[in-house]
Amino acid sequence: MKKTLKPSDMSRPSDCLCHIEPGELSPLPPPYEDFNQTTVPPLKPEKVKNIETSLDDTVAIGIPKPASKEEEEELVRRFLSGLKKLFEKENNWTFLQPLLLSMEHCAKCQTCSDACPVYEMSGKKDIYRPMFRAEVLRRIYNKYVKPGGKITAKLTGDIDLNWTTIARLAELSYRCTLCRRCATVCPIGVDNGLINHEIRKLFSQEMGIAPKELHEKGTVQHLRVGSSTGMNPLAAKDSVDFIQEEMEEITGYKVEIPWDVEGADILLLHNAGEIISWPENVGAFAIIFQAAGLSWTLSSEAAGYDAVNYGLWYDDVQFSRVAVRHADIARRLKVKKIVMGECGHAHKALTVTSDRLLTGELNIPRESAMVTLEEIVMSGKLQFDPRKNNFPVTLHDPCNYVRLMGIVEPQRRILRKIAPGFREMTPHGVDNYCCGGGSGFAIMSPYNFETWRNLVSSRKKFLQILNAFQGEPQETPKYVCAPCSNCKGAIRDLISYYHAEERSRLYYGGLVELIVNAMANMKKSIIQFGEEPSWKS
Amino acid sequence: MGFYTLSYLCILVFLLAAGYRTYRQLTLPVHLRWEVYPVQHETTDKLAHGGSYMEDLNWWEKKHGSSLWNELKYMVPEILFIRGLWKENRSLWRVSFPFHFGLYLMIAAFGLLVLNALIVLCGEDVFSAGGAIRTLLDGLIVFTGWVGLVLGVIGSVGTLCRRMADPELRDYSSFVDYFNILFILLFFLFAFLTCLFVDPTLEGAKSYVFGLLTGGGSLSAYAPGQSFCGGAAIVLASVLVAYVPLTHMSHMFMKYFLYHNVKWDDAPNRRGGSIEAAILKNLALKPQWNAKHVEADGRKSWLDIASSASKEIK
Repeated sequence: MKKTLKPSDMSRPSDCLCHIEPGELSPLPPPYEDFNQTTVPPLKPEKVKNIETSLDDTVAIGIPKPASKEEEEELVRRFLSGLKKLFEKENNWTFLQPLLLSMEHCAKCQTCSDACPVYEMSGKKDIYRPMFRAEVLRRIYNKYVKPGGKITAKLTGDIDLNWTTIARLAELSYRCTLCRRCATVCPIGVDNGLINHEIRKLFSQEMGIAPKELHEKGTVQHLRVGSSTGMNPLAAKDSVDFIQEEMEEITGYKVEIPWDVEGADILLLHNAGEIISWPENVGAFAIIFQAAGLSWTLSSEAAGYDAVNYGLWYDDVQFSRVAVRHADIARRLKVKKIVMGECGHAHKALTVTSDRLLTGELNIPRESAMVTLEEIVMSGKLQFDPRKNNFPVTLHDPCNYVRLMGIVEPQRRILRKIAPGFREMTPHGVDNYCCGGGSGFAIMSPYNFETWRNLVSSRKKFLQILNAFQGEPQETPKYVCAPCSNCKGAIRDLISYYHAEERSRLYYGGLVELIVNAMANMKKSIIQFGEEPSWKS
Repeated sequence: MGFYTLSYLCILVFLLAAGYRTYRQLTLPVHLRWEVYPVQHETTDKLAHGGSYMEDLNWWEKKHGSSLWNELKYMVPEILFIRGLWKENRSLWRVSFPFHFGLYLMIAAFGLLVLNALIVLCGEDVFSAGGAIRTLLDGLIVFTGWVGLVLGVIGSVGTLCRRMADPELRDYSSFVDYFNILFILLFFLFAFLTCLFVDPTLEGAKSYVFGLLTGGGSLSAYAPGQSFCGGAAIVLASVLVAYVPLTHMSHMFMKYFLYHNVKWDDAPNRRGGSIEAAILKNLALKPQWNAKHVEADGRKSWLDIASSASKEIK
């Protein structure tokens, strides 16, 4: 029988509040049934003895255990101080109105739960309900911050506040991918994804608690070195020079990638992860832009060659610093517009969210590469032979620029023109499911978190991909088009974890690779199923 | 007069509380964009797939079109029939729809009762007894009143039972959640019993609302306060009117802000525009977050902090 958990259980002593038993995860179809009894492997005691692990089977942050009761009390005090600040305009003008509206009007109807892929795939574990963490925060706020809260809590919903509650809440805020599918189905308009975002912020901005991958190795490294990958400007230029040479080798097309061209029409911002992990994406963009005769440039300035902004997921201050840096680079290059490469969260961070941050000369027009590419593909400037893409293709919709920015059709119109084997996932577009790597999950792999991601948060996407290719012969190579770096990372890990290349011949890549692959004047195919590209061998 | 005094007080509380809530929303600082698509005021070609104006090449050079008609096509069924719940949570809709529609019909019936009282006060001939318009108005009052009460009783009993029986709802419900539904159920129940046994054509209700507008004047010999159920219905309805804006049930009207100021707020910031002016005000605010990397000292503004690198970054 399923063990139910209530918000008040968050403060209850227990080594593991929620555990997934074998067979509880949503089942996978053949030939993946052997994974149906798989669970998240136990954390190694020697590795986690000094960190908080009492929420569930995994750890995303790794918060050090307080050394004393006094330290615990101090942390609780700091948490409450941060919680108050979330409701003050000086500290949280950025999201005060959305937060107040969502905190005050939830009818607890649970409609959001069924929309959440993490909750559904986990075997419907209560703690993964979108409103669970929101309700925990709401109860703490009502009881410990609002005047008279300790009396009214008996009527409005009680919860005890201790270090365990707080440590679990911090971890729990990293079991949601911020895909905000829950927000789209709420009849009232409550956004539990937003409340989760605010919980992460409270911990980061007040207590300095955030996953290393997002803060130290993420925004801090991005602003200090130039990229969250650790690549400095010199390394970035070297890598791109290498890509330039390799593209000619691979496709037979000579491409020159421009750097720091002042006054260019377009500053193209790539996720630097592309340069390291998917260089063919950077090369394919260059081929298309050059063949279309665009005036464009990359920036070699620190942060100018890495479009990511991990601050979007956990910290408004870091978010603002990165956004301002990106905009300032474009301002000094005097470009007419910034075009966001295939990176979902970078789209949303710089185009939409920072729209209410950048003023004056920093407010430079920003456009999705999907739109720029559609214009090129449909303009007739390039000749295509769609038969070159004679394999089944499905499209993954990155939440950040589909559901959260409304860029839905341009990439589809392109695919309909260049990929005859294109078929949709179900559901798709703004109703899509997250890849499971959203909000930083794709780059987070501490302890056993990567396995939790593959088994739980990415599981729905894996099912969708399998369903999209249902009926295709096993031996036919199948292409999952994922025009977003983080999504590609999550899908790469899924394919590897479930041995899907061997079992279903599943491959993945971006949109520009498909476009270049279909270009009539390319001497060789850029997409080579099962063959390691030269830079990986 | 005691009933009228209570009703006046409760209406005053409603106006103050709803006014305060609305005022607070209108004066909150402009926030970062956080819309989620589909945005229902988009133009028809975009709305068909949930797209935005940002799907257009060089979108900032074009006028941002929007469609009030598309928004209304979505919002009217959403408000009246709770379409979102019908689509996403059908079993809950079965109890939630009659509950909400019952309340809407109560509001409609009250509106018609006010109209009736105004007509009587105007003394217009066209509304005289036996006339077509008078018959229509009387019929509408009886229809909305009765249907609303029946739906309300069914809906509130259903909602209460569902919340008590379904662990998904029960485990997250507090005393107040049950109290709210019970409160509304009691109102529906007493009003229903009043109509059933004492006031089937709502003459007493007409008389009471006429009295509300005239400081206690009466249209008929019967006044609802003369029966226990009628008196209870007046007290419960009055207190409910005051209570709703003090609770999460204010979503009835606050939904406007949830949708228009967050979910569908896609207005772009243009150089020199009003949004930019509001952002500049926000950037002058001085945060006090305590994490080291923020480096807030109470003197630095958001602008200072966003345009500088912290020590850990240098």
